[in-house]
Amino acid sequence: MKTSDHSGYQGSAIKKLGSVLFISAVLAYLYAPIAVLVVNSFNSSKYGHSWRGFTWKWYEKLLNNGNLMDAFWHSLTIGLLAATLATMLGTFMAYALYRYKFALKKATSGLLFVVMMSPDIVLAITFLVIFMALGIHLGFWSLLIAHLTFCLPFVVITVYARLNGFDGNLIEAARDLGASETRTFFSVVVPMSMPAIISGWLLSFTLSLDDVIVSSFVTGPGYEILPIRVFSMVRVGVSPEVNALATGLLIFSVALVVLAQLILKKGKSQ
Amino acid sequence: MDFRRLIISVTLAWLTVFVFLPHMLLVGTSFMSPDADHLVVWPTTLANFEKVFTPVYFTVFWHSLELAAIATLVCLLVAYPFAWLLSGFKQRTQAILLFLLILPFWTNSLIRTYAIKIILGKKGLINSALVSMGILDEPVQLLYTEFAVIFGLVYLLLPFMVLPLYSSFDKMDTSLLEAGKDLGANALQRFRHIILPLTMPGIISGCLIVFLPAMGMFYIADLLGGAKNLLLGNVVKNLFLVARDWPMGAAFSVIMMLMMALLLLMYAQANKLVSKKGGLNDENL
Amino acid sequence: MKKLLVAGLALASNLALAQEKVVVYNWSEYIDESVVEQFTKETGIEVEYATFDSNEVMYSKLKLQKGKGYDIAVPSTYYVSKMAREGMLQPIDKTKLSHFGNLNVDLLDKDYDKGNQYSVPYFWGSTAISYDADTLSEGEITSWKDLWDPKWKGQLLLTDDIREVFHMALTLNGHSGNSKNPEEIKQAYETLKSLMPNVLVFNSEAPREPFLSGDVSLGMNWNGEVYMAQQEGANLKYVYPKEGAVFWVDSFVIPSGAANIDNAHKFIDFMLRAEVAKTNAEYVGYASPNSAALPLMDEDVRKNPAVFPSQDDIARGEFHHDIGDDAMKLMTEYWQKLKAGM
Repeated sequence: MKTSDHSGYQGSAIKKLGSVLFISAVLAYLYAPIAVLVVNSFNSSKYGHSWRGFTWKWYEKLLNNGNLMDAFWHSLTIGLLAATLATMLGTFMAYALYRYKFALKKATSGLLFVVMMSPDIVLAITFLVIFMALGIHLGFWSLLIAHLTFCLPFVVITVYARLNGFDGNLIEAARDLGASETRTFFSVVVPMSMPAIISGWLLSFTLSLDDVIVSSFVTGPGYEILPIRVFSMVRVGVSPEVNALATGLLIFSVALVVLAQLILKKGKSQ
Repeated sequence: MDFRRLIISVTLAWLTVFVFLPHMLLVGTSFMSPDADHLVVWPTTLANFEKVFTPVYFTVFWHSLELAAIATLVCLLVAYPFAWLLSGFKQRTQAILLFLLILPFWTNSLIRTYAIKIILGKKGLINSALVSMGILDEPVQLLYTEFAVIFGLVYLLLPFMVLPLYSSFDKMDTSLLEAGKDLGANALQRFRHIILPLTMPGIISGCLIVFLPAMGMFYIADLLGGAKNLLLGNVVKNLFLVARDWPMGAAFSVIMMLMMALLLLMYAQANKLVSKKGGLNDENL
Repeated sequence: MKKLLVAGLALASNLALAQEKVVVYNWSEYIDESVVEQFTKETGIEVEYATFDSNEVMYSKLKLQKGKGYDIAVPSTYYVSKMAREGMLQPIDKTKLSHFGNLNVDLLDKDYDKGNQYSVPYFWGSTAISYDADTLSEGEITSWKDLWDPKWKGQLLLTDDIREVFHMALTLNGHSGNSKNPEEIKQAYETLKSLMPNVLVFNSEAPREPFLSGDVSLGMNWNGEVYMAQQEGANLKYVYPKEGAVFWVDSFVIPSGAANIDNAHKFIDFMLRAEVAKTNAEYVGYASPNSAALPLMDEDVRKNPAVFPSQDDIARGEFHHDIGDDAMKLMTEYWQKLKAGM
């Protein structure tokens, strides 16, 4: 334990250094593979085991590969929508489980665990059967529903854990002051659970972007998403265009965040 | 319709249609007979369940359990201090660090796994670096070992542990720590009696959302471990897709989920015991 | 909400009907995109290209959808016979395929589809042995048997494919790789059990990778993978073992529920044109079954044994066909035992 008792100024400086070092080490672990693929997106070597000279060709190929780009946009669309909807629905569910007594409450949490325990193939096949039975067109809608559903438990568990540590009196106090249930939820519960809600969204988005098995069963020919295309490349070898795409997404995300930060800063200083 | 009724009925409706019904199909299938041309046919039978209880599957279950448990533990050991330290930074820095944590996970996991292979291979970055620095005489086998599998699983699952932990650290009331300090509790005592109990919901949920998916994961383990060992996910995939014995695949999945549910119950029970034995929780306050 | 959903769906399907199209279900990057564009430009038929990542997924999905949703699929060898037997395919009208004569007759009329009633070859290849010529000398490896040598302890690569690995053991024991005989399969399992200590890795995602990363220098491999590694400058050699290699063909088929049958024929015929086949072969890197395309290709591609095997190698080898679900279940059982170390 680094939290020594009578730590003066020096102690806290060491502590700070320690925490910076630890966090950097973890980030280094997470970014080592990313660094490899960023470097390889400029490598003329197709499989990237050695450096064979700088090239832009994978980026050029990527921009001309309409199918891959389409799949990427589809993935992004489904990911954003599924994560957002799953976060909304999941937050409601977590709150219902936390606050209300109702019939089938145990069954509800049981079903959420079932989603997490169920093997991908089982989810994939049973979803497909259900969608066909309900007459849901295979493509955008079926993908969205499937992704939303398998993201749900991750949101519920994260948000529920946060709610569970709360002081229930806050909610009662709001109610006593005359706020409706809806009002209480949106102006007390949601702000208090924000970190968990954001965590849940991030987890869902990540899960959705990376799903292959469920998606390959429930999607239709008109709506292909990136992971399926990437996994399907096994026949001919995964192309570094995918590295280029990943690098692009990386740069785009970083740029977006930097921009947001700048705007925030500007807003504050004015 | 009032708020309460609305959210409860939406919850129940969604879960019934998209979780309960599909899994009832699964349970139903597990009692049917296999057929080459139609996949699933009458009559009902218990034979599928008999076939599930064979020594091979016991080995497979045990191996998956072991792997998932180790991965969860390592994740916890890395993520706990990470989330804790993270919560000590300024709000803005926290947000940026969280973003940096999740960003790598928006790249397809297959691509990242290939990159891990480039790092761990015999001609890979680690080996070449160690050999050229003279620390090693010749490259060591890192890929296709248990080490590589754990390395990959932890890599893939880390944010799933960090995020719930972070949200429980974030709400931790630091005045409690101060109070503990004033009452003369040392660092270890403060950790055991204040910090650990307060972050317990985060630990529990983090472990759940890492362990349960890890039990069924097989793709990454196959790629990095050389697919020499079967995991539960492999068996399910083989039964459904290769052998095309759907009833048996269904029976296997049902049993597998029941076993996991059993583990879950034991876990919940253990948590209750731990939190009862002192520490700061509702009853003790 | 529901009404809106239904309305949206109806609109979407109406739009789809308005235009001539063909829906192709294939591996990704398994076709040169310029060829697809050219097809659309010439015929006005829009191509919807969907991808799968294994034959198993493609099969299960078509099975569940009762052969509907796709106009062309590209299964590998034994899936053609399986799908045909189960009534999932419809016969291909060869009178509509003006370029059918371009195909290499050695690859037609095989056991998996006599008379090519249901399938038209698209690409073909083999599973055999490859080794790293920097570590092993030429002639050291000539047969499947050589993989069993105890000196390779913990060093070999096998493909992660039940049929292929059993095929190897069955041929080694002097049986057909398509054997359904439970005794022969059991014997193959025993044979494979003694091979397990030598295995470092099973890989069917990209068997070239462990060779390139230096972790493996000998093992089973696909010819296309070896060709790709060679293009990367790796000194990999490809050997057709004397017991005979495994051959496979990826073929165009038309599922029984296809909606655009005429367009599917047009698409297949287009792909059979010599120049189109050449363009695709150069893009994909596997051998084209199109004889008319061969003279258009580079000599070093044509002469590379990793791309085109000799007449002898083909004669000695065997094409997979469907062995039925019972034999497949048995193999899967043994396979699981092998991997669980039992």
